[in-house]
Amino acid sequence: MRKLFVMAAMVATAAAMAAALPATLAAQETHATANIPRAADGHPDLTGVWQGGSNRIGTWEDTNSGDGPLGESGPITPYAVKGPQPKPPYQAWAAAKVVEEYNKRGIDEPMVKCLPPGVPRMTLMGLFPMQIVQTPKTIVMLFEAFHVFRIIPIGPDVKHPDDLDPSYMGDSIGHWEGDTLVVDVTGFNDKTWLSGVGTIHSEKLHVVEKFTRVDENTIVYEDTVEDPEVLTGPWTRHGTIMLRPGTRIREYECAENNVDEQRYQDLKKDPSLYERKPPDAPK
Amino acid sequence: MRWKPFATCAAGVIAVLAASAPLWAHHSFGVVYDEKKPVTLTGVISKIEWTNPHSFLFIDVKDADGKVTTWSFEGYPPTVLYRTGWKRDVTMKAGDNVTVFGWQARAGGPHAHARQVTFANGTKKYFGPAPGTGDGGAAPQIAPPPAN
Repeated sequence: MRKLFVMAAMVATAAAMAAALPATLAAQETHATANIPRAADGHPDLTGVWQGGSNRIGTWEDTNSGDGPLGESGPITPYAVKGPQPKPPYQAWAAAKVVEEYNKRGIDEPMVKCLPPGVPRMTLMGLFPMQIVQTPKTIVMLFEAFHVFRIIPIGPDVKHPDDLDPSYMGDSIGHWEGDTLVVDVTGFNDKTWLSGVGTIHSEKLHVVEKFTRVDENTIVYEDTVEDPEVLTGPWTRHGTIMLRPGTRIREYECAENNVDEQRYQDLKKDPSLYERKPPDAPK
Repeated sequence: MRWKPFATCAAGVIAVLAASAPLWAHHSFGVVYDEKKPVTLTGVISKIEWTNPHSFLFIDVKDADGKVTTWSFEGYPPTVLYRTGWKRDVTMKAGDNVTVFGWQARAGGPHAHARQVTFANGTKKYFGPAPGTGDGGAAPQIAPPPAN
């Protein structure tokens, strides 16, 4: 009788612990039965207003009111990616340039001039919302920051135009692979950063992004970056893009009071003010 | 039931899940401002610029001798503030007495980056991001070379 009681207590404790753990373990069960909003043509519908680079479920205010450095708050999606993502595998000469810029704390940041951040940097820029409008043959992504938009023709036979000029955001085309939207981006200029400070690339940059809406709140996201000029091989990261009910894109006109360009020029007259000093300055 | 070690374990899992490179880096912070120079100042708001790419809060700070210096505090763009509950000209306006915590400019002077504003009634709101989210972070974004 006592053994039974102990066993029952253990089962109850295990159940209580399982219930209290983050819901990652339950994800396998919920995935199969998740309610994925679908368009009339049967594909998952990505239409909505979203926050990239987040793994929290809820409204913008509920999920961005934390006290930590990124301000994250609220419940975490069962599809959250675990652990830090890999960094870009730079060739030695390019790595040296990244370090050089890192030691200057990113004073050459292209966004200081209100220029578009490029892809995939824009997709994961969680400070500002993005709106996706999905139609069967065209998906449009509208980003609050910098008035950037991406127009993505969709179809199994869609090809990049043959008259591309190098551009900040590149040229995007897409097709469906099952429930995953695969977006192929090429035609970049070399004036943006891939991700963090100094993460240079060349015009040979090629990006493939995958968007899979897995439930009401979550798009599972994957990007693969290739650039034979600067990287030793492909660079792949995973993340989530979260629905933000009630959020609308507002106007963000970066040029209206941009004091940074002049401030950075003034600072460059005395680099000792901002440059990293050893031991904080890697070689 | 011993909850304490379990809660620590859950917090550790959440920390791992949430860990990611700062993806919405604030470029100004590390270049212009120094996280080793925290400042906390109290004064009367003379002006607020609800502008892009940064809002600016100006407060008149009186020193022990009664001399007034106008400090500028840089903050988030207005769209970011509105989404976390700030209301233009309601939450904070010229004439209000506030305490602002932030970090001073590397070049010195009465210029700082705001983090948190405390209002006269004691409530607090974040007006700007934490440091270290825009100057490159703890290490350069380079994968370690493969071990051979």
